Amino acid sequence: MTYAIEVKDLVKQFGDFQAVDHIDMKFETGKITALLGPNGAGKTTTISMILGLLKPTSGAIQVLGQPVGTKALRERVGAMMQDVKAPDGLRVDEVLQLFRSYYKKPLSLTQLLDISGLHGEAKRRASSLSGGQRRRLAFAQCLAGDPEMILLDEPTVGMDIEARGRFWDTIRAMAARGRTIILTTHDLEEADAVADYITMIAKGRVVAEGTPAALKAQTALRTISFHAQTIVTEAELLSLPGVEKVEITGARIRLHVQDTDRILAELLKTSWGVSDIDVSSAKLGDAFRILTQ
Amino acid sequence: MNMFIAQTKAESIRIIRSPFFMLFSILMPLGFYFLFASLNGSDMKVQSTTYAPFAMISMTAFSLIGTAMSQFGIRLSYERRDGWVRLLKLTPLTPSTWIGSKMVAHMIVHLLTIIVIFGAAGLVYSIDLSISQWIVCGGWLWVGSLPFLAMGSLLGTMKNADAVIAIANILQMGLAILGGLWMPLHTLPTWMQNIGEWLPSYRYAHGAWNMLNGSAPALLDVTILLVVGAVFMVLSGYILNRREAL
Repeated sequence: MTYAIEVKDLVKQFGDFQAVDHIDMKFETGKITALLGPNGAGKTTTISMILGLLKPTSGAIQVLGQPVGTKALRERVGAMMQDVKAPDGLRVDEVLQLFRSYYKKPLSLTQLLDISGLHGEAKRRASSLSGGQRRRLAFAQCLAGDPEMILLDEPTVGMDIEARGRFWDTIRAMAARGRTIILTTHDLEEADAVADYITMIAKGRVVAEGTPAALKAQTALRTISFHAQTIVTEAELLSLPGVEKVEITGARIRLHVQDTDRILAELLKTSWGVSDIDVSSAKLGDAFRILTQ
Repeated sequence: MNMFIAQTKAESIRIIRSPFFMLFSILMPLGFYFLFASLNGSDMKVQSTTYAPFAMISMTAFSLIGTAMSQFGIRLSYERRDGWVRLLKLTPLTPSTWIGSKMVAHMIVHLLTIIVIFGAAGLVYSIDLSISQWIVCGGWLWVGSLPFLAMGSLLGTMKNADAVIAIANILQMGLAILGGLWMPLHTLPTWMQNIGEWLPSYRYAHGAWNMLNGSAPALLDVTILLVVGAVFMVLSGYILNRREAL
């Protein structure tokens, strides 16, 4: 197994704020990996350091076996960042031709227009495109050099359903051709649907990682919630068999457990005055919410 | 090389298609030129020449200073703000190729501007200059626009793009009026003349005015333009390098 990116003990400090807090991660070659986390988790900061746009406070990053930020690497890596405006004064085809000129073996203009679905807009000014169209143009720009590795920062923000579908088809086709794709997202369902591997980060740390299936299995907990008449401590609750996590809101207690049937029996044996019991199965989204809180 | 040519072409197209360029660097200087020339009379004596060739130099200088300030300075600042610079950093395009092609694009556009304004003035007022005079005057204005690009690049290092617009406009107008580009310097109050003769804008036009009557630019013309160019280049280079190191 080879890794396109290896990040070791990465730290980024902005004044007193630790945006990235000792992250270790690896991104496998030829796979789609999602960097999943809520806003402010440190996804963009991490991506920026991988791209050489920001210098890490400490730690090491290797991309395609090289240190970051070299010209040779920029030839092989395509990246799409958030919030980049289109250049004024140029038409869509002119923007794409300009980006093609930067690379030794660019994709053809037709291929890039196919990818972006902008054949009809080729002669229009890039600055007159809608938000979603501009996103697609940015995507085609980052693919102009036929890169081995593609980093996408929140790629589908602003795209409609149809554009999103075509976008994911392109991404999957690129991965099938051996391209490595890393994307950040805060949309769990999106990560679940397209990624081969998910790294969840929150508050600058990796909180969980694995294939979507493994993450689901790992977090396929059930929750059981109830009212207690007496005051119960968290330690008492955690000492029950199979309890992974406890949430207490007022008199309502919620337990995350592997085996609800067994816990149910245990709960009824206690002298806590348990009532109003509710059992439900947790979704990946709940696990994500808990892990990233 | 291919990259450099493509980038230069794109940057030139962007300047020429900009409505601000058309309005402030072509239409406004030409409009003022013909307005002033018809008000004052194109054959009015100014220094040792007449108004038509004299103001042709002034208005070309005014136009090129404006292009350098706004299309270079303001645009650099906006491109930085809009993330365009950061995006280019992700491509194999190097910063020196990028800035270099921007400057070449400017020089192409400046040359075209000189041809347009000289052409229009020459056709309307049948200005009587020898071929070599046309060429040296145009050449002086062309090469002399470089210090103003250096000034623009310092404006371009500023982070607040909206403030850059205000500063660029004030600077451009100040340089034009005090430098005697709108009204000949000797018609201005003495205190303005005292400031004006030290300004690069006055020295820029002055060099070409001298050429109109066959003499060479004054030593002070060359010196001031060189010093201004060097100071602004070093200053903006220093700021950019320091920011890069962070």
